[in-house]
Amino acid sequence: MNAARVGVITFPGSLDDIDAMRALRLAGAEPVALWHADHDLRGIDAVVLPGGFSYGDYLRAGAIARFAPLMEQLVPAARAGLPVLGICNGFQVLCESHLLPGALLPNASRHFVCRDQRLRIDNADTVWTADYSAGQELVIPVKNMDGRYVADEETLTELEAAGRVVARYLDLNPNGSLNDIAGITNEAGNVVGLMPHPEHAAESLTGPSTDGLGFFTSIVKRLVTT
Amino acid sequence: MSEQPPNEHGGSPDHGPDQHVAGRPPAAPGAEPPGPVAIPESPSPAAGLVAPPPAAPQAPAAGLGAPPAGVRPAPPTAPSDLPPSYSPAPHRPAAEPWPEAGAPEFSGTAPQPSRPAVPPEAPPAAEPWPEAGAPEFSGTAAQPYTPAAAPRPQAGYEAQSYVPAAEPQAGYEPPRAPEQPAPQAPAEWDGTIPVPATAAPADSVYHPQAPEPVPPVPRPAEPPATATDTVDGARNTPDRPLPYVELGMKDDEYERVKQILGRRPTSAELAIYSVMWSEHCSYKSSKVHLRQFADKAPQTDALLVGMGENAGVVDVGQGWAVTFKVESHNHPSYVEPYQGAATGVGGIVRDIISMGARPVAVMDSLRFGPADAPDTNRVLPGVVAGIGGYGNSLGLPNIGGEVVFDPCYLQNPLVNALCVGVLKHEDIKRATAPGPGNQVILFGAGTGPDGIGGASVLASATFDEASAQKRPSVQVGDPFMEKLLIECCLELFAEDLVVGIQDLGAAGVSCATTELAAAGTGGMHVDLDRVPLRDPTLRPEEILMSESQERMMAVVEPDRVARFLEICARWEVPATVIGEVTDTGRLVMTWRGEVIVDIPPGTAADEGPVYERPYAPPADLEQIRADTPGRLARPSNADELRRTVLWLAGSPNLASKTWVTSQYDRYVRGNTVLAMPEDAGVLRITEPSAATGGVPPEAVESSLGIALSLDGNGRYARLDPYAGAQLALSEAYRNVAVTGARPLAVTNCLNFGSPEDPGVMWQFAQAVEGLADACLRLGIPVTGGNVSFYNQTGSAAINPTPVIGVLGVHDDVRRRLSMAFAAENTTLVLLGQTREEFGGSEWAHVVYGHLGGLPPLVDLQAEAALASVISSAVLDGLLAAAHDLSDGGLSQALVESCLRGGLGCRVTLPGDPFTTLFSESVARAVVAVRPGGESRLAALCEAAGVQATQLGVIGGDSLTVEGLFSIPLSELREAHEHLIPSYAG
Repeated sequence: MNAARVGVITFPGSLDDIDAMRALRLAGAEPVALWHADHDLRGIDAVVLPGGFSYGDYLRAGAIARFAPLMEQLVPAARAGLPVLGICNGFQVLCESHLLPGALLPNASRHFVCRDQRLRIDNADTVWTADYSAGQELVIPVKNMDGRYVADEETLTELEAAGRVVARYLDLNPNGSLNDIAGITNEAGNVVGLMPHPEHAAESLTGPSTDGLGFFTSIVKRLVTT
Repeated sequence: MSEQPPNEHGGSPDHGPDQHVAGRPPAAPGAEPPGPVAIPESPSPAAGLVAPPPAAPQAPAAGLGAPPAGVRPAPPTAPSDLPPSYSPAPHRPAAEPWPEAGAPEFSGTAPQPSRPAVPPEAPPAAEPWPEAGAPEFSGTAAQPYTPAAAPRPQAGYEAQSYVPAAEPQAGYEPPRAPEQPAPQAPAEWDGTIPVPATAAPADSVYHPQAPEPVPPVPRPAEPPATATDTVDGARNTPDRPLPYVELGMKDDEYERVKQILGRRPTSAELAIYSVMWSEHCSYKSSKVHLRQFADKAPQTDALLVGMGENAGVVDVGQGWAVTFKVESHNHPSYVEPYQGAATGVGGIVRDIISMGARPVAVMDSLRFGPADAPDTNRVLPGVVAGIGGYGNSLGLPNIGGEVVFDPCYLQNPLVNALCVGVLKHEDIKRATAPGPGNQVILFGAGTGPDGIGGASVLASATFDEASAQKRPSVQVGDPFMEKLLIECCLELFAEDLVVGIQDLGAAGVSCATTELAAAGTGGMHVDLDRVPLRDPTLRPEEILMSESQERMMAVVEPDRVARFLEICARWEVPATVIGEVTDTGRLVMTWRGEVIVDIPPGTAADEGPVYERPYAPPADLEQIRADTPGRLARPSNADELRRTVLWLAGSPNLASKTWVTSQYDRYVRGNTVLAMPEDAGVLRITEPSAATGGVPPEAVESSLGIALSLDGNGRYARLDPYAGAQLALSEAYRNVAVTGARPLAVTNCLNFGSPEDPGVMWQFAQAVEGLADACLRLGIPVTGGNVSFYNQTGSAAINPTPVIGVLGVHDDVRRRLSMAFAAENTTLVLLGQTREEFGGSEWAHVVYGHLGGLPPLVDLQAEAALASVISSAVLDGLLAAAHDLSDGGLSQALVESCLRGGLGCRVTLPGDPFTTLFSESVARAVVAVRPGGESRLAALCEAAGVQATQLGVIGGDSLTVEGLFSIPLSELREAHEHLIPSYAG
């Protein structure tokens, strides 16, 4: 049986690409490095858009990365069902690409924030969260400058009604996100954007927990069974 | 030394204590402030520590956030509820003898006010609180430095340089408009200066935004070529005056330049010599002392590259090497906190890249004025946001450091940044330009008018009035470009494309070209016209002095140039061939086809002036030392001890720094094993090779690790700089050792006042000697460092502040120890001997604002013994936690370990409770012993001659000292975290 091949896109300024690849490897996938300027998804089975500050986030976070050549391949593939997980800056790129609704604004505190965050998984039906159970609580790091999720009233209502809020902050909302939203999914459940960093909670030696591994084992199991 | 030596309590007698407590309750005797008059036994933890109401609870937030203009918040140092009898006299400048009558005592008969007549805890500033200190930044000025406003305002600035093609093209050749204005003939231009024939050939230039080489742009406002001060011109006009004095050069130094050249220098040559012979670049005042680090270097096989290169390199085993260095960016951080601190990180990171290493983490040692001073309010948030904004964007975890408040740093904050990098032994790179014919490539950001305040003197004196406009003297950072530079350099190294490399920092192109040439074959030809400019109006002198950030210079064999440029293009890093290595022994530079520099490079790089400056102990030293803390009244009963524990835990230097550290990414790269507030930062060493496209190797991650700590104590060094430097080393060594690591090597950042002051020079000489002697004793070499002089305001110097970094190795990082008390029912043991030592202590500082006597006794043998015991105990798996004892003594160590692990403890104090809790004797640690390990630990201690005292056990939800007091963790937490709130505005 071949391991699931999961691509990780490196944009100029991507920072957590190595971490995402490590977490994928720990989850049993074969990580594949993808370069933003390429035009080929290299036949991967799923994609992770990693955290970082693509193009320095000097414009809106993610606003420039969405125009990368590889995104021209990725967007239609995602609409056709390719599993995509955007973490932090990757979440921002997904919103800028309109694969996910809403936007991520600078933190309410106007400070970068890095902390071990309690979360609750609200939707365990996506391809990236199937290894969790709904209501399960996790501790994984959150670290961002522009992590405040916002959307118009109508979109929020729709997200909530459809159960498309994947994860929510508990105890303390670190960035002022509406409805304590930490992550959302598209209607089909194949595209997930997440502000916290599950790849930093994949090893007990270096993370506050190993609670983040589930995002990666979820996709590995899904790809193996399909 | 000034007559009014600056120190913690060097308050000017002109200003009564109430100068420093505006916003607090009246301090007049008998005028009891409103509010709680005694510590309530309330379970509400806040009550015990809140400064006088009503303003007090907000004070900490205001102190670090943005207080209303003109309102001085209550000093957060001020737990108002001093015990009735624990009422020290108003504290006075240390330089003044304490009045006999003023000596407080714990008679228990003190008058009833529940707090001292004058709150003693706010040390007066060395000068009155400066509205005057920083008039242009007071009050609301903090606002521009908050991240929302400051880190991101450069959209236009970056967008023009680094925005990739908005509509990507095949091959991803960004089809951008030229970054620089296209060359065009200005209206008034007479056209007599042709585009130099030396303009870079197209194949040697990569401009992501401008595929065509950009020839120099003549300007209408610019005088014709006759203004260029050429070498020929210098020969013909030997008497033409040059503004060397304005550039900081002494008469005899200028004469020496003339001697070396056999003529007067050109203005471009003067630019080079003036910056290369500056204190900052030449170490002319410190050199004679710093030699001790080499002369007294211990025998070690670990040192692969010693001092003199961009950073030292040490062998950590398994084929891995580590390079690390700390550097100051003090003055820029005072002028412009965000950019000053940000570019401080950027500079030290490039030093690490230059060694051939991948940077893997940063740390920072920060010192500010009093936590409640308005200017601290301006400087601290900006510095923290700058360090975070730059380091976070680079993807470098910030794993530790220190934040210290003291009045002596009020107008002279210290921002010392450390970077550590890893590499394989065979990948070490050098700053050298060997091989005539090899090409010199400048790559990274364009050269702009950053940091060339000095050069404008030349421009104005030598050229027309129009160019005399002030240039900015603080550099502006672009962390995105630096991130690209890191990855680009690592790919260049992986393909072995460079024979020499140097980063551009202070003195920019001047420094890189002279140092590379001097360390190589000896000659270099540089065509300054080819330097890509952000501002085409720059004069050659300005190009030479510009400190624009994110630039590197490489020496590349001619047949590798094409591949070099290709990799730069992949990373969208502009790269330009600007010159060639020669065998002439001369550094020659041309501008518009004329020779403007022709010097032996070694004379600028290595043969600068060396001064043996006079030194003598500061006049007030004996007086300060004679004023021992023995006279200070001590807490005499259980309740006073309890309150002192809380008081210290909530004082600025000991309080939780989460508000600061939560603005730093500590997780990125996934190798952070321990980070602040732990004693040392600990990293796993593992690096996926660039050859695999960054994909981590399939093999199990390495278990090799390193530990790093950065420590200093200006108060100790003020009392005894020789011991002070050794104590800083001791603490860093101990911090590394308590994680279970084996200390291996040392870096240092020596922050002092003016070397022209004999008192300061004496402090410096003593500190260097102390550090060199101690490194020899401990067997760990100094691998490099940095000296920062002129840290003073007027004639008042800062406390001498040697900041010492120690690197240690974990052969198996999975065995590292945390300081957290997290395992119930483990035994607590105090290792080391506690003496009655309060000179320079946090207790004396916090409670009395007192600095006097002598610092704790240095005992390097005991430090080494302690480290060996812990190392052996870790190998045997005996320990569950360990925490070093330093500032605040055992009391603070227990507070921190309990809060870190979320478990309390129950201890019995072996000796005098006050001394046991608060003394700062060295070579001590508290360890948690796993059940069954007690006797083996005792045996290890006995063999090493380390005193081991059983203290008690971990467990419960309070810190309990048997027979004396108990403090719930919730109350401790409130005290510890109240001051610097973790999510302040």
